[in-house]
Amino acid sequence: MAVTTANVATRKLLPGGARPTRNWREIRAAYGFISLWIIGFLVFTLGPMIASLVLSFTDYNAIDAPEGVGLANYRELVTDPKVAKSLGNTLIYAVLYVPSSMVVALLLAMVLNRVGRASGFFRTVFYLPVMTPTVAVGALFLLLLNGQEGLLNRTLRLIGITGPNWTTDTNWVKPGLVITMLWSLGGTVVIYLAALRQVPKDLYEAAEMDGANAWTKFRKVTVPMISGALFFTLIVQTISALQMFDQAYTMFFGAQQNSTYSNEAALFYVIYLFQQAFRFLHMGYASALAWLLFLIILIITAVQVRVSRRFVYYEGEKD
Amino acid sequence: MTITRRGLLAGSVGALALGATSACGGVSRSGNDTGSGDKGDTGSLSTQGFGKPDDVGQARIDAFKSAYPNVQLAINEGDFDPQQFLSAVASGNAPSLVYLNRDLVGSYAAQGAIQPLDDHLASAGIKTGDYREAAIKEVTIDGKVYGVPEFYNTRNILVNGKALQEAGLTLADVSTTDWNKLHTVATKLYKASGGGIARIGFDPKLPEFLPLWAKANGADLVNADGSPNLDDPRIIEALTYALSLINEQGGWSKFKAFRDTWDLFGAGNQFVKNQAGAFPWEGWYVNVLVQSSPKLDLQSVPFTDKQGSPISFENGSAWCLPKGAKNPAAAINWMKVMTSTDTWLKAGAARQATVEKNNSIFTGLFTANPSADDQIKAKYVKPGQTGFHKAIENYYASTGYAFAIPGSKAGSEIKAAWQDAVNRALAGQQKPDAAMKQAQADASKAFSAAK
Amino acid sequence: MSTSPPGLTAVPTTGGPGHERTEGSRPASGRRDERWWRRAPYLIVLGLASVVFTYPFVWLISASLKPRTEVFDNALIPHTLRLENFADVWDYAPVLTWVGNSAVVGLAAATTVTISSALVAFGFAYFRFPGRNVLFGLVLATMMLPQAVTMIPVYLIWNKLGLTGTQVPLWAQNIFGSAFYIFLLRQFFLGLPRELFEAARVDGSSFFGLFWRIALPLARPALAIVFVFEIQASWNDLIRPLIYLQETSLFTVPRGLKAVIDTFGNGGEQHWEIVMAASLIATLPMIIIFAVAQRHIIEGIATQGRKG
Repeated sequence: MAVTTANVATRKLLPGGARPTRNWREIRAAYGFISLWIIGFLVFTLGPMIASLVLSFTDYNAIDAPEGVGLANYRELVTDPKVAKSLGNTLIYAVLYVPSSMVVALLLAMVLNRVGRASGFFRTVFYLPVMTPTVAVGALFLLLLNGQEGLLNRTLRLIGITGPNWTTDTNWVKPGLVITMLWSLGGTVVIYLAALRQVPKDLYEAAEMDGANAWTKFRKVTVPMISGALFFTLIVQTISALQMFDQAYTMFFGAQQNSTYSNEAALFYVIYLFQQAFRFLHMGYASALAWLLFLIILIITAVQVRVSRRFVYYEGEKD
Repeated sequence: MTITRRGLLAGSVGALALGATSACGGVSRSGNDTGSGDKGDTGSLSTQGFGKPDDVGQARIDAFKSAYPNVQLAINEGDFDPQQFLSAVASGNAPSLVYLNRDLVGSYAAQGAIQPLDDHLASAGIKTGDYREAAIKEVTIDGKVYGVPEFYNTRNILVNGKALQEAGLTLADVSTTDWNKLHTVATKLYKASGGGIARIGFDPKLPEFLPLWAKANGADLVNADGSPNLDDPRIIEALTYALSLINEQGGWSKFKAFRDTWDLFGAGNQFVKNQAGAFPWEGWYVNVLVQSSPKLDLQSVPFTDKQGSPISFENGSAWCLPKGAKNPAAAINWMKVMTSTDTWLKAGAARQATVEKNNSIFTGLFTANPSADDQIKAKYVKPGQTGFHKAIENYYASTGYAFAIPGSKAGSEIKAAWQDAVNRALAGQQKPDAAMKQAQADASKAFSAAK
Repeated sequence: MSTSPPGLTAVPTTGGPGHERTEGSRPASGRRDERWWRRAPYLIVLGLASVVFTYPFVWLISASLKPRTEVFDNALIPHTLRLENFADVWDYAPVLTWVGNSAVVGLAAATTVTISSALVAFGFAYFRFPGRNVLFGLVLATMMLPQAVTMIPVYLIWNKLGLTGTQVPLWAQNIFGSAFYIFLLRQFFLGLPRELFEAARVDGSSFFGLFWRIALPLARPALAIVFVFEIQASWNDLIRPLIYLQETSLFTVPRGLKAVIDTFGNGGEQHWEIVMAASLIATLPMIIIFAVAQRHIIEGIATQGRKG
């Protein structure tokens, strides 16, 4: 968020003047314009958040009236082995996916940045998978990653490697999902490419004159100059990784109670929350789960913002 | 399959009609929702979980349509999805009927998502005594009947004759009586290739068939009162054994990945492609095999306990009445028509027509209605000497001795508990012993929490 | 409020939205050295990467045209062409109905969110009113809010209104705007020349007139971006149709495809060729949209800020 507000702060605002207007008509008009959002915020965000908090202290199945149970749901959170399991799965996945997606996307973007006009074509190619619906991606990769006959392991076999059973070996389910998700990293590539193109060439020339080699240039010029983009993707990717649902649910869960037998390894937090809420109708418990997730995301994001403040360079700050 | 599409189009029209009738406050009905005094011959009827009807299903739908031409049917295709169903009930959009596996009935009854049927059955003249006892037991919770059972699937062992021959074995060798010997037979039938599996020798069908392995070792997963019995040492022993079969044949992750690639329903199925030696499975699969691979050298033997007596485990689906279902009288009529002997006979005739068209074999219909089964068998099942004929004979025999997991008010939680436990054991995350103990703890908690 | 589109992120990079570039600096991409052999290694790397990225897609098309026995053979050109897979999908499932449902839901979601977000964004861009910074901070904060936190109460709201089991909950929240798009459009509005609006004010235009007659027409490219992104987000949405839709005839594409996978995929009949055919049907409309609106989509993600 620091990034976005930093940008906002440096804008030359459309209606000049630094101080808020005292013109009553303007204030009324302004609130008129944003009233839709305010209503939506109260009804669909703030209200539900409060309701969710209240529900988390009840036993509620949406059929009968809620029944207060005090802290029982929160006590259950601590002892339920599936909470620990799904939370662990989710964190492991996020730790694997977020850095690898950033590194791969940055490498691709840097190469793209070297090829001039041809980059347009490749950019399109890398972006195409992003357009594939997530459920279709899940179905497709379930086959591509099949440990015995799948494309990936068949290809590995050509070079003499026996690949793991990505979809059935509990140790490899999460790496398999990371591979699945990496296929759709085109959006990040596009963002990094845009950021790289904004880096002033003079900086590289100056660094070259100082005798900097490629690595030094990357470290001292490229990374600081695109740190805003890096930071932004870090936050967004982390939040979305912590909410992993579509692909994992498609591949490992569904109407059949045991469609795949490794599904505890693919039990992500939001999947468990969804099951508790809408499969077992444990709405009170699921609300407690939801609040735990909210707190976790809040903490992780806060830490990321804190840490990155020291590293992110904003051109705007000089102004 | 074109039938299916027509069914769905009818479904959407029916759904509109449903909205209309409920909006009118039941003009066409007597206003009494409990069914008495309401003949259930009008209004609309929506179902969930009925899948896509095949010839047998369609013939029975047609039978209902001709008996109740004024009822508008809305069949929501797709297999039963617990989340879809519970959301519908919680939203007050419950379908008039739900079609689900009998082992789920108890939990939904305890949750209040489905209603007891006793009064309805009595007034509609449906006698539970006409249905197979094991099936009725599955849908009876605390003395109340919650479902009308439909199919009756039992398990026998299907064997790939070609693999048997290649391994120098005879059908008599494939027996679950002597577990040490079965171990040897399984490894003889198993074939590896490179880093992978070329043929699974004997698939114990975990986790689904744990009840069968437990029974073979003399134990039941669920006690007669519906309480879980998951950490019985005999069950742990059975799981340990079945697990060892898998570990001898490549280990679980390879085993499962290989199985995922099988063309179960096609001409290139795992028997034709010689990817499987033997495994226990349900009777309807013979019909799939006879159509996809009529030339197959299929053989079969009953599953036996350690004393050598044949055992089998049965389950199937049931029709239930969701809480808040509209038009219950028509729903009861539907249950009655769909499972009556006359209707089954029509279904048998439809299947026979398919068989004749394909120049194939009638592989039997296995339902919870024994009198229908007997008549259909007498009428359409021809004796013969092929492996298919013998397999059919075996399945008919097993309907006579099959057991069921007793209905429990925590049935689905208990099932989830032991299946998760088996999965953990399969994945090597826990030893069978620890896994089943944890399952017992989880299941007991669910059982005592169920109202 | 609406799920943020996959792969879509704003670009508040240095030099991103609204940044005046430092005088005299040149973008690094326009290197003088355009001699091809210096680029050749990079082109080779990109070529290989392209194969990796394209292959799964080609595999999908190929598998959807194969008989079941050949699905795993990984040949790109099917030995036996089996177009009946598509007929089989069609016979099992009302795919056209699902595509139609998704189109209706997507259009409703995109239209409402574009108009409402533009209104709100204009409010935040044009006026300096007391409380603006706090409220805009809240807008940004909701971008971080996991959907899962409000999922249950929002469901209960729709349930109270009797709208569960209908498609309304899939799009109706968009009437109130969506934080990400508000942010995006505000950035765009901020870049418009102020004189235009002042002139109109002098001519007696109302505030709504400023929005409707000046801001909206000028913002057309940005509106198109929002519209396309929301169409895609809606086309991908799985969790809400799972929660809200029970009747097959109301399913959207992802929900329907999931039902097909449940029946024909793992734990079902393992008719993977049908699953692949259904997946391809679900994907094609998005590819067409990409073909038509590619410039908008990529520019939207990458460089929308430069226009300011």
